[in-house]
Amino acid sequence: MAAVMKPRDPDVTYSQVGTRPKRPDGVDKVTGRARYGADVSAPGMLIGKVLRSPHAHARIRGIDTSRAEALEGVKAVVTRDDFPGLDELPDGGGEEVLVDVACNVMAREKALYEGHAVAAVAATSARIAKRALGLIEVDYEVLPHVTDVDAAMAPGAPVLHETMFTRGVEPAPSEPSNVAERSEIVQGDVAEGFAQADVIVERDFRTEAAHQGYIEPHACMASMSEDGSAEMWVCTQGHYSVRDMCAQILGLPLSRLRVTASEIGGGFGGKTTVFIEPTALALSMKSGRPVKIVMDRDEVFRASGPTSSASISMKIGATRDGRITAAEGELRYQGGAFRGSPVPFGAECCFALYDTANVHLTCYDVVVNRPKQAAYRAPGAPMASFAVESVLDEIALELDMDPIELRLRNAVKEGSKSIYGPSFGPVGMVETLEEARDHENYQAPLAARQGRGVATGFWPNYGGETSVTLNVNTDGTVLLSLGTPDIGGSRASMCLMAAEELGVPYERVRAIIADTNALSFNATTGGSRVTHSAGMATVQAARNAIDNMRGRVAEMWGIDAEAVEWEDGYARPSGSNAGDFEPMSFAEIAALSSQTGGPIAGHAEINAAGAGNSFGTHVVDVEVDDQTGAVSVLRYLVVQDAGRAIHPSYVEGQYQGGAAQGVGWALNEEYIYGEDGTLQNPGFLDYRMPVASDLPMIDTVIVEVPNPGHPYGVRGVGETPIVPPLAAVANAVARATGRRLTELPMSPPRILAALSESAEAG
Amino acid sequence: MPRTCIRFLRRGEVVELRDVEPDETLLEYLRLREGSMGTKEGCAEGDCGACTVVLGRRDGDRVRYEPVNACIYLLGMVDGRELVTVEDLSAPGEALHPVQAALIDHHGSQCGFCTPGFVMSLFALYHQGRAADRAGVNDWLAGNLCRCTGYRPIADAALASCTGRADDAFSRRSARTAAALASVDGEDDLFVGDEERFFAAPRSAASLSDLYLRHPDATLVTGATDVALWITKQLRRLPRVIHLGRVRELLRIDREGATLVLGAAVSYADAEEALGAVHPDIAEVLRRLGSKQIRAAGSVGGNVANGSPIGDTPPPLIALGAELELRRGDEVRRLALEDFFVDYGRQDRRPGEFVSRLFVPRLEPGQHFSCHKISKRFDQDISALLGAFRLSVSAGRVVDARIAFGGMAATPRRALRCEAALTGLRLRSPEAWRPAQDALDRDFRPIDDMRASATYRAGVAKALLAKALLEAGGTPRSETRVVGAEAERA
Repeated sequence: MAAVMKPRDPDVTYSQVGTRPKRPDGVDKVTGRARYGADVSAPGMLIGKVLRSPHAHARIRGIDTSRAEALEGVKAVVTRDDFPGLDELPDGGGEEVLVDVACNVMAREKALYEGHAVAAVAATSARIAKRALGLIEVDYEVLPHVTDVDAAMAPGAPVLHETMFTRGVEPAPSEPSNVAERSEIVQGDVAEGFAQADVIVERDFRTEAAHQGYIEPHACMASMSEDGSAEMWVCTQGHYSVRDMCAQILGLPLSRLRVTASEIGGGFGGKTTVFIEPTALALSMKSGRPVKIVMDRDEVFRASGPTSSASISMKIGATRDGRITAAEGELRYQGGAFRGSPVPFGAECCFALYDTANVHLTCYDVVVNRPKQAAYRAPGAPMASFAVESVLDEIALELDMDPIELRLRNAVKEGSKSIYGPSFGPVGMVETLEEARDHENYQAPLAARQGRGVATGFWPNYGGETSVTLNVNTDGTVLLSLGTPDIGGSRASMCLMAAEELGVPYERVRAIIADTNALSFNATTGGSRVTHSAGMATVQAARNAIDNMRGRVAEMWGIDAEAVEWEDGYARPSGSNAGDFEPMSFAEIAALSSQTGGPIAGHAEINAAGAGNSFGTHVVDVEVDDQTGAVSVLRYLVVQDAGRAIHPSYVEGQYQGGAAQGVGWALNEEYIYGEDGTLQNPGFLDYRMPVASDLPMIDTVIVEVPNPGHPYGVRGVGETPIVPPLAAVANAVARATGRRLTELPMSPPRILAALSESAEAG
Repeated sequence: MPRTCIRFLRRGEVVELRDVEPDETLLEYLRLREGSMGTKEGCAEGDCGACTVVLGRRDGDRVRYEPVNACIYLLGMVDGRELVTVEDLSAPGEALHPVQAALIDHHGSQCGFCTPGFVMSLFALYHQGRAADRAGVNDWLAGNLCRCTGYRPIADAALASCTGRADDAFSRRSARTAAALASVDGEDDLFVGDEERFFAAPRSAASLSDLYLRHPDATLVTGATDVALWITKQLRRLPRVIHLGRVRELLRIDREGATLVLGAAVSYADAEEALGAVHPDIAEVLRRLGSKQIRAAGSVGGNVANGSPIGDTPPPLIALGAELELRRGDEVRRLALEDFFVDYGRQDRRPGEFVSRLFVPRLEPGQHFSCHKISKRFDQDISALLGAFRLSVSAGRVVDARIAFGGMAATPRRALRCEAALTGLRLRSPEAWRPAQDALDRDFRPIDDMRASATYRAGVAKALLAKALLEAGGTPRSETRVVGAEAERA
């Protein structure tokens, strides 16, 4: 049964929620004490290294590991032969197909992309392990490859999986292809809608793959004991999912694998699955010793999970007064070498913001010889929104209408039917647009070669399975055990909500991320679900502890538990009828726990529902250098509905961080593949993420339209901020230069080429 | 007898190490040998800054603090320095260091993995003796990537804490530390290892030339900012390493008449002021070369000797007419810098010969100089191309031109046909510039790679030439600057 909680009275003011205390993990992070994935070691520990395919597509005819095994210091070598067969795996379920994950962590018949793991070594030092990799002989039969999404869909393209027949097509195709699935969103009648339109704009768009770019490379340590149980230390957004996938891939019962999540050095979706973890466990099983694997940066680029590249066609019609009458689009996303690109999210999100009667979007999930994509902040949404928001900007220009006004005339409100089904509750789309319009940045004067871009973004937000335990200590302090790794300040937010419920100061509440044995299941941190779901579970756990304490006080006072109420950290008689007792504080009750029935704790195991949808509007000013094509970002404004900001600084941190990643994606970041299908820029040297001078001081406005599905009105905030920047920057460039770029990134050479085209044309 | 151990100052104590692998990195030492896990590895190539540590260097009776990337800094190069890591800034139970406290107060840490690097960069900035402004903060943080925050809270923390008045445990014991460093860093040569495998750091040019003649296959390093990537990325072993960073003569900055004489081991950071006095554009090129971490370690001499086609310092030096001094044993020769670059990966340098000094002439009256670096990202990026122009102007005409480009050919090279076409040109007649611009197409067949296409390079090179001519003709720089616009605005 899904958990739903009604909000407290919206007029109530909070004493702690909404304040900006220091984060509990702050001191450890600035002193170097915080322990990340690579920071632990164990007695007898070996270092694992992974051999990766140099070919984009190759059949593996044989692997000879004998010379590597003979090298002094090498304790174990594993290949596909050390993993249970794919037909032995339990039926995947969950979000990812387990067979694909198993195939991705260790190549089976074929290496499907450059960087695909084909073998791994555990040795007494990193240097020996690396040398051993060079001694493994792999017999490859190199096959034709394809890395571009459109090329992969074309007839005659090299086919990755002989067993892949496009789903969602009638009749079912008889030939295998690289299109895993075709799906549609259909609403109304687009032909009729276009017939009503006064202006129709149709464009093709392309975006390149971007990487999450977390600074901490993937790292884990696995230790298998003689009795068949294992422990792992992993930097991950979801240690329960690591446990489940590793256990299933290697055939262990879940009770035999205990996973502890390290402090995590950034994830943004990229650490929601496994890459090296099953391999470390397999090496530990074979060597009988703890094994640590840390990816090199180039492995992170080649062999973790960047986002999809996309090719999109979008056609939108509107009336003269700015009403969108119809939208028709085709979204083609490659998801790397396996099915599961986030193209459905793209289709759901790009038109969720607008109350449009006639929409027809067709999605293609395509495989190519690239690493299996993983989630990246609002997976799938930024690319589709880039297309929609760019076309809308052109329509605004053509109608000579303010771009915010155009969006206001179409914005969804409470009661509007969303494109993906349900009707919206109270949502803040209109409010974010109005705040952006009224912000001083929107009035700032612009000089020559400068332009202002507007775009909006949406993410549905999620809830999901969550377990929390709240321990009340006898000294009046509180310990929260959470099972959702903290990637954005969630420990601070949970402490604030627990403190608010219990009526104790924030400083008395501490939160940890507990291991998989300590709590029941927790879904992965992702999809902007944690402050909502773990927040709801924390509130329930706190109320559960309060009920327990009220019961004890009632017993001491000799009255009914219902006659004891909880207010501001005190148990009080609920009225004059209940009796005349001196209120007891939280600390007093905690101190007496051993005499009143023993330890006090609250807990909650829920499947959180009621996630509140998230809307945001971005405004960016850029200046374009017409000699070099370089773009400088002059001002950046993020306005987004947070429902209720539990810790406003961490809400702002999400807004700024998402915008910064989006600016990078828009202007400079890209996966560059050579003719041979190998990645040309697998390092920060040539994968250019923004540095401090690339960004202005990003301005933020938090809009609060409370989510009725959360006790404090929370809406998840992490995903949406990366959705608008791609189009916002492109729209600003278009207004600065008169040239519309439809291909990302808008790097200096590409801008200069566009400018010279227009010079020649004009 | 040379000293056979490296010596450095660590947490107030002198550390002596006899077992130093020639190619061991400082980060390996910290994490694997010392067990100091606060310093992180994010990329192992000096791009992300998560491994930033600070080295203290004696400067009279004070200590100067500079950030370096521990991942590409060789352990032996720490000799004679004070080594400061993130664990050292505050003692348990004591107040946090002001930069640490400011990062917490401004919520400048999200995931926290990059934080130790930012702490150390800010610690170095804190000790610079000048209040930080936003442009300065950007400059000091250009070598630190953060993927969570968009930098605003970190910049806020920097502005709040780096006020120009250092008052911490380090500033208070500065004189004592300087005295300790004086005793650590002797006048002796350093040689750790044996003839087969060694890390050496001679103190004099004579010792260096002897050693290098004996071991012409040794690898010379000043900051190792490029060579260390052979170790971390190409997994090469370097059995014999000679560090130039202690060679007295190679660390000097002198003047011979109007000519600046720069020792080959002078770091970018130390060279910035002297080269900036020749022309501010060179200082701007240096400011955008790598990051503070790279510039504290690497040297102009190393950038030249390395011979990369995209090194940032050769084009302006060639355009200025700089010369190079090479030494082999006692034999010393001097040649024009452009003649040093023979072909891709090949320089006019014999076995056992090393670059010892650079001679940079001053600009004469009537000479206009400009230099432009073009890269995808403004800070901390490899150049797509870099153009430098010295135009001698008389009565509104170009009477002499020296133009050099990087990124346009297999070596940094002069644009001789373009120079010839410019001679006699009237600056006020832009319509007459076309032949000189077109001459660039005959001078160069630009490289075509992922950093920029050949077409882009060729087109931008012509635009840069037009800018140089405009500027020489007296059009105000602020309107025509391609690069440095950020700095000027700030």
